[in-house]
Amino acid sequence: MICSDAFKTTADAMAGVQGAPGYQYLTTPHPVAGLTPEQVRERAQDVVDEVARLLAR
Amino acid sequence: MTTPDPDAAREAIEYCYEQGWTDGLPVIPATEELVEQFLAHTSRPPDEVLWRMEHLERECTVHTAAINAVMAGCLPEYFPLVLAAWDAVMRDRAAKGGGWQSTSGPAPLIVINGPIRHELEINCTGGIFAAGFRPNATIPRALGLMLRNAFGLVPHVFDQTTQGIPGRWAICFGENEEESPWEPLATEMGLAPGTNALSATLTRTYEFVDNRHTQDPEQLLNDFADTLSRTGSLIFRGQSCGVVFCPEHAQMLAGAGMSKAEVKDWFVEHVGRTETDLRRAGKDGISDSGPGARSASEAERAPADTFTPYFTAGKDVPIIVAGARNAAISMVFRVFGEWSNSSVEIEAAPVAATKGG
Repeated sequence: MICSDAFKTTADAMAGVQGAPGYQYLTTPHPVAGLTPEQVRERAQDVVDEVARLLAR
Repeated sequence: MTTPDPDAAREAIEYCYEQGWTDGLPVIPATEELVEQFLAHTSRPPDEVLWRMEHLERECTVHTAAINAVMAGCLPEYFPLVLAAWDAVMRDRAAKGGGWQSTSGPAPLIVINGPIRHELEINCTGGIFAAGFRPNATIPRALGLMLRNAFGLVPHVFDQTTQGIPGRWAICFGENEEESPWEPLATEMGLAPGTNALSATLTRTYEFVDNRHTQDPEQLLNDFADTLSRTGSLIFRGQSCGVVFCPEHAQMLAGAGMSKAEVKDWFVEHVGRTETDLRRAGKDGISDSGPGARSASEAERAPADTFTPYFTAGKDVPIIVAGARNAAISMVFRVFGEWSNSSVEIEAAPVAATKGG
């Protein structure tokens, strides 16, 4: 899971509600809403290695 | 009645604070006896689930609603209105779809019709958006406490409000049916005239229109259209905005021969902006519902003089009449998503409750 870093508190709380406290997820800098498609692709590039690392755990 | 012990009252109130049960203001400590009095005012079973938020694995029952209505400062006879308010606002697709946790922090708008307005001394006239009336203040507060205590929507965690709006849990009033030239809202929504009914929707903001300057209905409507056409509130092309007309404005429009439906139709035709205006605000790329929050690229842009209407039909423009005759001041409000365009009948209290108090 990837969320923007403004929502870390909510994401951590949600993990607890779902019975998975400490669940590992990735963040990308907030905000995301106003990005162009190209900027979204750059964001994806920034986290792709971490995504692979998490999936391979 | 003996004089209550203020120290004991203070201690009980502080206990509620320590448990995290309050919205920042003191709450009434809920005793079992008091909760039972509230439950006696509805035929609905205490264990009936009003709503379940699956993703949070939490729900609110009639019993939990009664506890929070007590804490909000309601009287037992308000409880059917609290239940009706919950039912009415949950008809909004947005409320069912996570709207309560939205970053915009929307507020329920609650409007009451029927003789119950007078029986419970619900304010319909001067100061409808201000304080000073117990049912107006406590019924919406009960909803806020239900969301906090039953569903755990606490600010900074599951309540993700960025700023919210002033008076988020305090917007509840009766329609001024006596001075409205038009049919009551609940009647317009299909309920029999004289029905005790409640209508509710999630809203984002409120802005006044002060126009004591003209007797020309077209000029007056244009003043409203300017406020309704703001670009700042646009997220998608389509949106919903309503007007709480003061009696003077409503009577002026009705005096010119306009029905409520005709006023709505006028707004549907005239409220909106040109592409030039939208482009200036970076909102020329937004679509009806999906992809676009960003400004359009050159290839996507429509001609500069293209007019984008904000509303699709009269259903997007709820109209209510409330407030005093003191001045020609009305209020525009912005609907968070899409109002259900329906009203909920308020349950009459069972006979035992009305006899027993």
